Amino acid sequence: MEHGRAPAAVRIEGLWKQFGQQAAVAGVDLELPAGQFIGLVGPNGAGKTTTLSMVTGLLRPDSGRVEIGGHDVWSDPVAVKSRIGVLPEGLRLFERLSGRELLSYTGRLRGLPGDEVDRRATQLLDVLDLAGAQHKLVVDYSTGMRKKIGLAAALLHNPEILFLDEPFEGVDPVSAQTIRGVLERYTASGATVVFSSHVMELVESLCSWVAVMAAGRIRAYGPVADVRGTAASLQAAFLELVGAQRTASGDSLDWLGGDAR
Amino acid sequence: MNDTHQAATGQVAVRPGAASLTSVFVRLKLALLRNGLRQSSGRRAVYVTSIVLVMLVTALQMLGLIALRGTAHSAALTTLLVVVLALGWAVMPLFFASGDETLDPTRLVMLPLRPIPLVMALLTASLVGIGPVFTLAIIVGSVIATAHGAAATVVGGLATVLTVLVCLALARAVATANIRLLTSRRGRDLAVLSGLIIGVGMQFVNLGVRQLGAAGGLQALQPVADVLRWVPPGSAMDAVRAASDGKYGIAVAELGITTTGLVLLLWWWLRSLTRLMTSPDSSTLQAAAQPDTARGGRAGIAGLLPAGRTGAVMLRSLRYIWRDPKTKTAWMSSLTLGLLVPILNAAQGHGSLYFAFFAPGLLGMQMYNQFGQDTSAFWMVLQTIASPADAYAELRARALTMSLIAVPYVALGVTAVAAVTGDWRGLPEVLGLSFALLGTLLGTGALTSALFPYSIPQGSGFKNVAPGQVGIAWLSLFGGLVTGALFCSPLIALTIWLHISGSFGLVWTLLPLGAAYGFCAAWGGLRLAGPRVAARLPEILLAVSKG
Repeated sequence: MEHGRAPAAVRIEGLWKQFGQQAAVAGVDLELPAGQFIGLVGPNGAGKTTTLSMVTGLLRPDSGRVEIGGHDVWSDPVAVKSRIGVLPEGLRLFERLSGRELLSYTGRLRGLPGDEVDRRATQLLDVLDLAGAQHKLVVDYSTGMRKKIGLAAALLHNPEILFLDEPFEGVDPVSAQTIRGVLERYTASGATVVFSSHVMELVESLCSWVAVMAAGRIRAYGPVADVRGTAASLQAAFLELVGAQRTASGDSLDWLGGDAR
Repeated sequence: MNDTHQAATGQVAVRPGAASLTSVFVRLKLALLRNGLRQSSGRRAVYVTSIVLVMLVTALQMLGLIALRGTAHSAALTTLLVVVLALGWAVMPLFFASGDETLDPTRLVMLPLRPIPLVMALLTASLVGIGPVFTLAIIVGSVIATAHGAAATVVGGLATVLTVLVCLALARAVATANIRLLTSRRGRDLAVLSGLIIGVGMQFVNLGVRQLGAAGGLQALQPVADVLRWVPPGSAMDAVRAASDGKYGIAVAELGITTTGLVLLLWWWLRSLTRLMTSPDSSTLQAAAQPDTARGGRAGIAGLLPAGRTGAVMLRSLRYIWRDPKTKTAWMSSLTLGLLVPILNAAQGHGSLYFAFFAPGLLGMQMYNQFGQDTSAFWMVLQTIASPADAYAELRARALTMSLIAVPYVALGVTAVAAVTGDWRGLPEVLGLSFALLGTLLGTGALTSALFPYSIPQGSGFKNVAPGQVGIAWLSLFGGLVTGALFCSPLIALTIWLHISGSFGLVWTLLPLGAAYGFCAAWGGLRLAGPRVAARLPEILLAVSKG
């Protein structure tokens, strides 16, 4: 499969992470092209979150190298951290702040001038449809609102690359559409988005480039059309790649449904 | 469980009777108790130990009460005791709503149940448990302490039944009336604050017991008991005394008051239950309709703080002290106990100005495990720390927040204790040593935050360490405290030397010296901790994200 022609936004070499006996990420080599909408797909437990955590500096790898924009994540954090935005999955936010306070806090921590932070926060809250809830504590937000405020916090310092772990998980269709719109506008300006998901339809409709992960390894990567190949959909290609077969639906649930009543 | 199945699918025609419903709930309660044993062996050991301990305390309480038999004014104590017990039952569901699954009747809302059989079944089921056994033992002990004669024994039997039922009905009624609040975020916040209320309450109970000892007997309780004997279930307990004294009219009246109280409670419970089970949950509607107003104090404090990371971190820390129940509990208990302990001791005549060290000690401890207080939200901080200088700025801002409150508090607190004890001469040295201790704790706190971070579970008011991290928490707190004390030792040695050599004229120098010493210790600790934090960011995140 051919590499993207654009220069690499992220270069991963021999990334490895072991939890006890199990290798969550077992030797990942990958180059993610810049300026693309990239999907990292795979079943639950494939190692997507572990990989993204190691790429963004949240988790120390056992071995391997990660470069973002040519800078090593672990030896040159100053260059890397200002260039990336992160929305992790399963970690809290500072939930006892209101949405606006959270953005104001994050922006100042990033070293942006106060009035610039406030200007950007107002626009982000508007675009993400959170203006009405901006003074409510994040602890009282719904899942969709949390993802949106997390996205706003990740975008505030205008990063070159955005890493999103399951940004659409548990999000209602309206919020999902809002998030989608913001991300599409962001990539259109030449920025890179890397997001993980296990919803193939979503990845197929959003992404220009995908990497398929299973059992801690990369199974396939490249432009969506290449990965899909001759299969009817990305879903079908994916199931074939990870080796999942449909279980025969014999007579084990023969009582279920109208006829048996 | 055939009955449950029947209850769940029961057609309208064959509604389960009150008796079978009661047995279902009693068996459910027994199953919940039994399931307490079906945990990991460590938790099972804790569960069994706690039951054994409660039983032991119960037995001791009962023996103590029986020993009071024949003592003058023992009825004053039992009346008060029973009212306090009922109060405990009323408050308990507010703090431990999640402790008893059967307390939340909204779980039963999909089942076809009538209100009156349901109330009877729930009341009977709530008799099963450790709490009711404890209550029963105290009441029986109280009756034995006060009942003299056959009539009083009969009244005592009635009083026991009535009192237990009042306690249980009270707990259930309060829980049912407030269940929407209790299962909401505010209710859970309240539960976390319970640790604080209990901690401070203990201090007052302690004071009360000591004063009772000083007053020389139970007669001090008589004025309180004279009021409480007309309040159920205290009235039932006083009825036993009245019957013992041969005042049967009063005894009957008092039993009547308790019975009326019980009936009113049951009626209140029934009403809230019916309303709860038949009306939709409006909590989300309310939330949506609430006007979205800016939170106050924003411009006020924010304007005074420095710009950049320092101001942002300080503002967030200050907001967390007020808004985060866990942080609030820690701060409020430190602020309250830091003054309460020395002043209560002084008020009782055996105080010393040196008790004032409680204030800087408890406040300085707030600097420990800084990142554990962030929980897994620490990742947001991690993403913005790229160098040791960033980490130093982050820690310095947090230490500044502490100092903003702690320095004036310690200055005022120590002065107040000096005023109460009258030991004005000791003020400069104690104040100086207090500042030194505070600074040292801020410095060592920053270091241990970097080296030994651990998770603070958020849900509970009593758990402050996640399972499996107890060792590291102790190491962090006690290692830090010992190091802090060692760091202060030159200053302590100087104090002792000044006293021994009789150079009292120079003791005042300890104030500026201690302040400078504290400042340097804090600064040094922060300087050392900065690079450690920057180098250990993922490890800290991992340690504070458990539980």
